[in-house]
Amino acid sequence: MNGDDSALWHEIIGLDVAPERRSELLAAFESIGAEIRKLRSLDLTDVHPAIVFKPPSGPHRR
Amino acid sequence: MTEDDLAFASIETLAPLLRDRDLSPVELTCAYLDRIDRFDPTLRSFVHVNPAVLEQARKAEAQIAAGDWRGPLHGIPIAMKDNYLTAGMPTTAGTTAAGIMFPERNSAPARRLLEAGALLIGKTRTHEFAWGTVTPPARNPWDSNRIPGGSSGGSGAAVAAGLCAAAMGSDTGGSIRIPASLCGTVGLKPTFGRVSRDGIVPHSWSLDHAGPLTRGVTDAAILLNALAGPDVADAGSSDEPVTDWTAGLDGGVRGLRVAVCRNHFFTSNQPAVSAAVEQAIAWFAAAGAVVADVTIPLLEFGLGAIFAIELASSAAYHDTSLRAGRVPAFSPDVRALVEMGRLVTGADYIKAEQFRTLLIDGFRRVFSRADIIIGPTEPVTAPQVGEAFVDIGGVQESALAATWRLTYPYNLAGLPAITVPCGFDSSGLPIGLQIAGPWFAEGVALRAAGAYEAAHDWARRRPAL
Repeated sequence: MNGDDSALWHEIIGLDVAPERRSELLAAFESIGAEIRKLRSLDLTDVHPAIVFKPPSGPHRR
Repeated sequence: MTEDDLAFASIETLAPLLRDRDLSPVELTCAYLDRIDRFDPTLRSFVHVNPAVLEQARKAEAQIAAGDWRGPLHGIPIAMKDNYLTAGMPTTAGTTAAGIMFPERNSAPARRLLEAGALLIGKTRTHEFAWGTVTPPARNPWDSNRIPGGSSGGSGAAVAAGLCAAAMGSDTGGSIRIPASLCGTVGLKPTFGRVSRDGIVPHSWSLDHAGPLTRGVTDAAILLNALAGPDVADAGSSDEPVTDWTAGLDGGVRGLRVAVCRNHFFTSNQPAVSAAVEQAIAWFAAAGAVVADVTIPLLEFGLGAIFAIELASSAAYHDTSLRAGRVPAFSPDVRALVEMGRLVTGADYIKAEQFRTLLIDGFRRVFSRADIIIGPTEPVTAPQVGEAFVDIGGVQESALAATWRLTYPYNLAGLPAITVPCGFDSSGLPIGLQIAGPWFAEGVALRAAGAYEAAHDWARRRPAL
């Protein structure tokens, strides 16, 4: 995705972002994205996420 | 006691004076209000001073005179970070964006402090929505050309300058410990779930912690006594039993098993920070602690994980504002961070949560053979105002990336961590020592921090305002 794909931006991030703003955001995201890409490189297939769903312990609990 | 002595006195010192009526809560409050008038035009640590605080002080004075002393916080003026909801005082969470308002009710910590008899002296400045480590336009009391850190920068500056006895902060990636370290105060991030966050404007639900910035370790324990405990209003609240954290603070460190995590925490620190922290480690060994180097695997992946969680959570929290077009009114850095949250995928978020499992396992292994982990709180001393990059041993690093690099691992793991002053650099800027304990073992971290503090005079130094 680059700063020119208006429809794609809207579809993926759900916001109308002006073209010049998209470029700014992508530039700002570059270093953060690099760290997230490092995370993506980890094989965590068999690791359960730290946050787990816990249902209420009784039928009438809020 | 001189006016300065009064302003910089610990709660531990003030409490018996108030109890025995050798000091009036009104006198103490007036001393802080006077200092706020004199010094806060430069420091800009407060965004709101409570017009009712003197009335609260007179009420506390009458209660104590009637023999109804509630404990060590009775009559003590405490400031609340401006992302804590407070009855009778507005909350802005640091934003001036139109259309964003918060209710005037007491957050759980405000309520618990009031029940303990504390006085709420005002609201301290936060980096907008607690999303940053600069807290503009607040300044550092040790050098007004430098930032106080953040996001609880107003709280750090106010405590360091003797404008209140203590202040509350919130910590998602280090926002209590960062300003505490840069301003030379104690800052305690308790275990995740130990202190209710009900009524604190959320930043990232699984990372947000509430805790105090104080003048000393005993004061942090006194505040934790008042703040801790289960609360059904906070989904993350724990029902782990609470205790009196002031008991055992004088237990010393002899025999304490101290781990020093040499990867991540020691790889890129300013020389003055390294020297001060190594001296602190040597002190622990000389005082009878059993010090051992350890490594915790995968810490190099933590930044991506906390970015994924914080960005995604922040974008979710601000989703209505994003869609309503209110976000362009945020400050540019915060606007970008909130908007970038939409670029984090669902898989990234879950993968960050999977990474947390491994990180927690790594810490668990260390705590199976150690009582505490010690290291620097910050790799740097307070950066200059407007300094986007900081020099670390000749290498330029983003100030934001540097300032939370050593604190966020403990947010990802939910561990208790405290920072205590451990020296000053050649510019006279404070350096912090970070001490983390096992989950729900704040007591051991407090004991170690208290022993270190008692053996050094760092915490007793005052900035020249």
